Amino acid sequence: MIAIITLLLDSYRLLKARALFWITLGISGLVGLLYLSIGFNEGGMSLFFGLVSFEHELFRKGSEWAELLYIGIFTKFIVPLWITWIAIILGLISTASIFPDFMSEGSIELSLSKPVSRLKIFLTKYLGSLLFMLIQVGLFTVLVFFALKLRMGTWNPSVLWMVPLSLLVFSYLYAVVVLVTVITKSTLAGILFALLIWFGSFIMNAVEGNLYAAAYTQSQGGDAEMQENLKPWYRASVALYTVLPKTKQTIEFGDRLITVGGQKGFSTEDFTAALLGAEADREDLEGIDDAVRRNSGFYVIGTSLIFEGVLLSLAGWLFCRRDF
Amino acid sequence: MEPPVLDLKHVRKVYKGKVEALQGIALQVPPGSVFGLLGPNGAGKSTLVKILTTIIRATECEGEMLGQPIGHKPSLQKVGYLPEHARFPDYLTGRQVVEYSAGMAGFTVRQASSRVEALLELVGMRDWAQRKVRTYSKGMKQRVGIAQALVNDPKLLFLDEPTDGVDPEGRREIREIVKRMREEGCTVFINTHLLSELEQVADRVAILAKGALVREGDLEELTKSKEEYEIVLASPLSDELVYKLETLSAVVANGHILFKGGDPKQLQPVIDFLRHHEVVIQSIQRNRLSLEELFLEVVEQSRNEEPT
Ligand SMILES: Nc1ncnc2c1ncn2[C@@H]1O[C@H](COP(=O)(O)OP(=O)(O)OP(=O)(O)O)[C@@H](O)[C@H]1O
Ligand SMILES: [Mg+2]
Repeated sequence: MIAIITLLLDSYRLLKARALFWITLGISGLVGLLYLSIGFNEGGMSLFFGLVSFEHELFRKGSEWAELLYIGIFTKFIVPLWITWIAIILGLISTASIFPDFMSEGSIELSLSKPVSRLKIFLTKYLGSLLFMLIQVGLFTVLVFFALKLRMGTWNPSVLWMVPLSLLVFSYLYAVVVLVTVITKSTLAGILFALLIWFGSFIMNAVEGNLYAAAYTQSQGGDAEMQENLKPWYRASVALYTVLPKTKQTIEFGDRLITVGGQKGFSTEDFTAALLGAEADREDLEGIDDAVRRNSGFYVIGTSLIFEGVLLSLAGWLFCRRDF
Repeated sequence: MEPPVLDLKHVRKVYKGKVEALQGIALQVPPGSVFGLLGPNGAGKSTLVKILTTIIRATECEGEMLGQPIGHKPSLQKVGYLPEHARFPDYLTGRQVVEYSAGMAGFTVRQASSRVEALLELVGMRDWAQRKVRTYSKGMKQRVGIAQALVNDPKLLFLDEPTDGVDPEGRREIREIVKRMREEGCTVFINTHLLSELEQVADRVAILAKGALVREGDLEELTKSKEEYEIVLASPLSDELVYKLETLSAVVANGHILFKGGDPKQLQPVIDFLRHHEVVIQSIQRNRLSLEELFLEVVEQSRNEEPT
């Protein structure tokens, strides 16, 4: 137990010493502040703590649309763009060298010559590396949590789901980094492979999602025969997609957990309609929510965790039996 | 007699790529001694220590350390290790390095704190303990390395080239630390190719060459076999005296007289002879084969035995 705490403390010290960690944290804080600066009043909404304000019919104080928009900005813009895109890349860059450094000659000996099993060291080191993301997302989401209370008047703890979900996405990709770096001891190779898997997952998500929409949702024209023909293609894409980690859908799973206006579930349909305002044609948007929720949570997170588990087991096995 | 701290019967290691780094080593290290493992570069010294500290796995391994089979993790609680080319995370301070080592051995920061202070003082790094390792010189890192190896109060201490990069004063301090550890009942196992270091502290030495033990024994015994007296004269001898001296089985070379054997009685006739001829003796000294000469001789032998 003391050894585990020692290893975690060491991981924390390692992070603290990285400039990128503080830069990312600074940007996180800034983005959180920007988010907090969005306010609503009787006639509409304002940005930068009231510096810029404009009138809006839907988005004004007390309107249920305002909450939808406010939460939507968080889940649909900030989380996908900042947290699970830029912050993850920065996170991968700053943590990818942890294993190669740890395993380098003259330094691994200090840890392996101790009365602690290699597997324990490996797993703790892995968990310790996730601290980077945990601190970033944790801090940011807590800011958002307070911002929501301030602007909407109610506590909405369901937004905190974004912390474990973002951490999950990072952990899938970090498992790739760990496996590659345990094999090659190359930080660069680790980052490249993780990006490759991420990109592959992004592409397969788009392919599978579009095939699903074309084959199953009514709004896509409704040519029954063509839809039948597309179904085998859809199934093939699912087979391929299943083995990959579902980075985008894991984040989107948050839609099903977050409460808006006291009701569970964030509707992308409603959100898009609200953003488009008068130009929105509700019929065009129909089916978006179904498409986003086409896969069960068990499928999305379960298969991704299996992916992560397989990679980690392999990496752990190699770590435990190699000579240093 | 107490059982040996280290009792190896057969340790063999073949690296990937078929380098046979150790060809079945058998050796024993008695408790409370300082044991020196000597060998030229690539002999397999570090490989052996890394096997004992579970950094690498032996291909074949039979033997015990502290009464437990090699590879038994819990017994490492009582083992200290300074690896060769030790590198510490540069985001840590010297003190944190030592505390990390203590923590991994199962001591909380509080439990270890007084020992950590004492060790930093002992290795002369107390004033630097708050600075980051990246600001240290090589010798300072080595000092911190020694402190971290001692922090768990080991019964068995492995030092792999401990004086690497350390200045003469530091070397002397390290020797003092080794002696002190021995007094405290710790067994110290030192890997080195710096023979002069060992001569002053080691009780037993083993010489390793190409993965095989070629000589092992008490330092005394190993070096006693080749002793001689060296007599330095104030002025050169005449040819006649040289000739006569040689009949007394002394050898004369550049004004020095060498007399084989360590028995002082047998030397007396030579002295009598010289004094009788009124030769002025400047000094007489008894030389024993230095460890270095023994080492070079043994390594040379093993090279010759090699069937090429
Ligand atoms: N990881 C490794 N993979 C393959 N061969 C290795 C490895 N490590 C060491 N060797 C080989 O094993 C042999 C013994 O190496 P070792 O480092 O144990 O020697 P040493 O006695 O410590 O030498 P030095 O005095 O230079 O430190 C060498 O021939 C070396 O090339
Ligand atoms: Mg070595």
